[in-house]
Amino acid sequence: MKTRNFKILLIGLILIIISLFFIINLYNKPFIDIKKSNPKLEITAQEILNDYQADEILANEKYVDNLIQIKGEIADISFENGISIITLKGTSGVSSIICHLLPEDNLNVLKLKKGNQVMVKGICTGYLIDIMMIRCILINDNFNEK
Amino acid sequence: MTILMKNRILIFWILLISSQLFSQERYLTKEGYISFFSHSLVEDIKADNYQVLSIIDKKTGEIAIQLLMKSFMFKKALMQEHFNQSYVESYKYPKATFKGFIINLKELDNQNGALEIKGILSIHGKEKEISIKANVQILKDQINLSGNFMVEVADFDIKIPIVVRNNIAKTIKITFDLQHKSYK
Repeated sequence: MKTRNFKILLIGLILIIISLFFIINLYNKPFIDIKKSNPKLEITAQEILNDYQADEILANEKYVDNLIQIKGEIADISFENGISIITLKGTSGVSSIICHLLPEDNLNVLKLKKGNQVMVKGICTGYLIDIMMIRCILINDNFNEK
Repeated sequence: MTILMKNRILIFWILLISSQLFSQERYLTKEGYISFFSHSLVEDIKADNYQVLSIIDKKTGEIAIQLLMKSFMFKKALMQEHFNQSYVESYKYPKATFKGFIINLKELDNQNGALEIKGILSIHGKEKEISIKANVQILKDQINLSGNFMVEVADFDIKIPIVVRNNIAKTIKITFDLQHKSYK
């Protein structure tokens, strides 16, 4: 009798520990690793701008919350609140794509200039008067551009 | 759907008119900062948004602010997920907006002061009239607004499940720092 009670207690305890482990794991679930993850879409700045100009709701469904890789020309580079911001422009239109980079790329941004062609990978959050991207990184192959 | 379009048209209209008529009187930022903070006995939750769009007309004191809910960055991925999916339903209401006036902005020239801002705050598709105090700093080509205020979660029809009710405060502190530059 005693050993049986002890077994039940032990199994119960193990179950509690396992579920606690899962709960803590879920609570501490990491953000998607931008660098290691493959982008869901690869497009040019003009393509995504066209999509947003045509229909914001449809474009939101296609892009928001997804990891996307955008190729485009740098219209502006700035630093605000310790964040490097690269603005990509399309070939026409007033809107642009504002990319907030992760701090790990701060040094690489210094090597870039307006007019450079770059590839940026990050998460699209939507559209105000520009397309907004957060947690972006630069794709390395582009640093040999003048 | 129509709200989205209206907002977009409004902003474009403001920009268009501004660039033609009062170019030296309009001030704009696309990288304003707004954060919110919830304190409870169980946990503190903070999220930062550095992609706030804000436009001020210095002549009339009119101000229009827009932000994307998805641009709020949390410390934990799970918090961000719950926030967007369950609480503010970002897929349905992707933006929060504020439209209003900075009272007596004209009287404050090239100096600092605390002014009242009045207007309509819209979150989660619900509108509420608010009146807050902000620190206003007017420089040569810049207008800076900063400060904080409290909002009630219940005012915006945001439903918090009972299981996590103790984790999230009923009153949320909003902090803002918007550094507008003269818009050309």
